[in-house]
Amino acid sequence: MGIQDEQLRKLIDHIFDSHQDDVLDCDSCGCQLECLAEKVAGGASLREMWPEVEAHLMCCRDCREEWQALLCILRAESNGQLSTPEK
Amino acid sequence: MIDRTNEQWLAELTGPPDVQALALEELRGRLQRGIFYYLSRERSDLADLSSSEITQMAEDLAQDATLRVMENLDSFRGDSRFTTWATKIAVRVAISDLRRARYKDFSLDNLTADGDLLPANATGVTGTPELGPEDATERDDVMQRITAALKDALTERQYQALVAVAVQDVPLEIVAERMGTNRNALYKLLHDARRKLRTYMETQGLSTQYMMNLFQD
Repeated sequence: MGIQDEQLRKLIDHIFDSHQDDVLDCDSCGCQLECLAEKVAGGASLREMWPEVEAHLMCCRDCREEWQALLCILRAESNGQLSTPEK
Repeated sequence: MIDRTNEQWLAELTGPPDVQALALEELRGRLQRGIFYYLSRERSDLADLSSSEITQMAEDLAQDATLRVMENLDSFRGDSRFTTWATKIAVRVAISDLRRARYKDFSLDNLTADGDLLPANATGVTGTPELGPEDATERDDVMQRITAALKDALTERQYQALVAVAVQDVPLEIVAERMGTNRNALYKLLHDARRKLRTYMETQGLSTQYMMNLFQD
């Protein structure tokens, strides 16, 4: 697939496929993240708790990146993996 | 490290100077450990940095994040542990900083409907040698109609946002900053743009299923 086709594929995917008409926007999603992340880090299913948030995270790269970062830090914390960096 | 309740964090962070200073230092240290872990374990794009550079970066970001937490203390609702809420803010500070550094030279100026994003010659079939002549012709036709739809159905602002986010993979946050808006407003703008394009394309006989079938791998 050439670059032009690849660009077009990404555009079409964005318009038709990966973006459903989700009901949550970034602000609505963001204000739930800490509460949900604690539960997911503890083993709960995001899909079962709040499928709309999961749908938004599937669609929005920015929110997904922040969600994954938060989750990774919480998991590391609960596993005792956070340590003070040495200079 | 003291294990504080949410109420204790809030009381101490707004308490007398000596009490506040201790709580602030513990919060900053906690955020720094989280950021350092994220930067050093999860960010392959920082793999070229030395450990001391990552450490310094984490320290600076934790300082900024602590200030941001203090500025937003009134908005903590108590739905989670205080430290989780503060970590969310730290994550946002850190990732925003990384995005700005990566896209510091990004400009929307070249993204115009008359520009070359879906280049005028995007209808060429050189990128799809595996297609037969009939399929290639059909895809050429659809490409031309998509290019026309982008110009006809979208405003210049919608076009720029869609191309930057969907094609160039630029974070919403960066595009929003360049457009003088915020991420949420941009998300809604993109939502409207997608809806307009889908509607327009449907009227052109380009249904969702047809498009997905045509451009599937």
